[in-house]
Amino acid sequence: MDVARVLWPSFLAACGASVLFFAVVDPLLLRGAGPRLFADLDREAGYALGFFFFWGIGAVASSLSVFLIRSSQHRQSARERAPSAP
Amino acid sequence: MKLAAAAPGESPAVAPGFYAAAQKIYPREVKGRFSRLRKWAVFVLLGLFYGVAWLQWNGRQALLFDLPARRFYIFGLTLWPQDFFYMALLMIIAALSLFFVTALAGRVWCGFACPQTVWTELFMWIEQWTEGTRSQRIRRDQQPWTAEKALRKGGKQLLWLLLAVHTGFTFVGYFNPIRTLGAQVLGLALGPWATFWALFYALATYGNAGFLREQVCKYMCPYARFQSAMLDPDTLIISYDNGRGEPRGVGRRGIAARAQGLGDCIDCTLCVQVCPTGIDIRAGLQYECIACAACIDACDPVMDRMGTARGLIRYTTENALQGKPARMLRPRIVVYALLLLAGSGVLLYSLVTRTPLILDVIRDRNALFREVHGNRIENAYTLKIINLDTRMHSYRLYASGMEQLDIAAPSAPIAVSAGTVESVSARLQAPRALAGGVHTISLSLAAMDAPQIAVREKARFIGPNP
Repeated sequence: MDVARVLWPSFLAACGASVLFFAVVDPLLLRGAGPRLFADLDREAGYALGFFFFWGIGAVASSLSVFLIRSSQHRQSARERAPSAP
Repeated sequence: MKLAAAAPGESPAVAPGFYAAAQKIYPREVKGRFSRLRKWAVFVLLGLFYGVAWLQWNGRQALLFDLPARRFYIFGLTLWPQDFFYMALLMIIAALSLFFVTALAGRVWCGFACPQTVWTELFMWIEQWTEGTRSQRIRRDQQPWTAEKALRKGGKQLLWLLLAVHTGFTFVGYFNPIRTLGAQVLGLALGPWATFWALFYALATYGNAGFLREQVCKYMCPYARFQSAMLDPDTLIISYDNGRGEPRGVGRRGIAARAQGLGDCIDCTLCVQVCPTGIDIRAGLQYECIACAACIDACDPVMDRMGTARGLIRYTTENALQGKPARMLRPRIVVYALLLLAGSGVLLYSLVTRTPLILDVIRDRNALFREVHGNRIENAYTLKIINLDTRMHSYRLYASGMEQLDIAAPSAPIAVSAGTVESVSARLQAPRALAGGVHTISLSLAAMDAPQIAVREKARFIGPNP
């Protein structure tokens, strides 16, 4: 369930980000701009790469959110379980 | 508007952050007005999806979001990345329409038009065709594996997979020319990315419509969560008439239910059995309800058989249920409608008045100016001309904004074929006596066969310091 919670919102965000980004930027521009890795990138590969890049970034952000929510819940429940101050 | 808590029978989540294993839902098949409507919606919408990809228009695919070529073809219209404005506006209009319809009629989108609903419906038809009715499916799932069970289950999976792969292929066919894709598939020469995305979408269809189904609506869909913000007491919802139905129960035969102190609901639970999200509509409005109206279709015939009026479960509003007058025109509706009208108006107007021509003027970077014979000053420019129209045009260049400004090049009209970019070098000249300093000039381009296709761009003409 956590995997889904991380992957699904970041997937949606990646869709939106890809549309916005590639509406303005032609992936072929990456050929000249990026490292040699991009030198013979075609458009389809560029779109895919961009999409997975955004998905990855989104997934990192989502996992951080999940982690922060969970760890605060753990602390909360630990505090509730602990006997009240004497 | 308040939504009731989870339906009875659904196990409450153990703790936030933990996943309550979903119970498999076996929706019972149902016949009636709204199921017929949904059947039509499935035929029309999926017919459009699978069919429109093959439509041709002026010798090319009618609807093609050609990502490799960075052009969108929408019937007679060709959109370039520069036209992103139209796509953005179109998305805003789509979102506004959804808000408007939701405020007016609740979740009709969810029940009849959402791809999730439509594909799930199609997958369920296959399931019913191979595995039979609800009770047959439940029984077979509890029985040990036999040849027949394997055959029926295997057949279902095979049909699902075929349909999913075809769906993925069609989806990719909206982004790459589908006829070429089709030929590539037959020749086993489909490109790696096209294959990947086709399978990706196929897997999503198969998973969402075959297995996840109502869980997509319950756990994944953001719209399902925030749609309650768009509902108000005058929104059309599907509701059980508590006052009429309760107390529910089966009375003794031959005596009117009322005389026995019972309501109209005989507690046959058909409304629960047909529900694709597995809720009990009698518990009140719930966010899981996708307004598919299957429970109305299930309840109406029961009311007919019992000799009571239809509509124990019906489309109604919260106000109507409480006997208050229903209002169609609320501020919310009016505002959504006005925004929608304004957005569509802007889109229509800008599409009609759109000039299918773009001119970019780039000054020569090597020299500010050049002296040419006849005591004249020359500036050089590169013109980037994009012909967005669907046919070839010849354009003539005009320069203005300075006295005695002449165009030395290009001397002939510039021909640009449909949908292409042409780079042209241009040279402008002016007498030295008039050219001193920096001048703002304007260059305009007009199609010779269609004077309304014209654009004007500002540029600078630089001469020696006076």
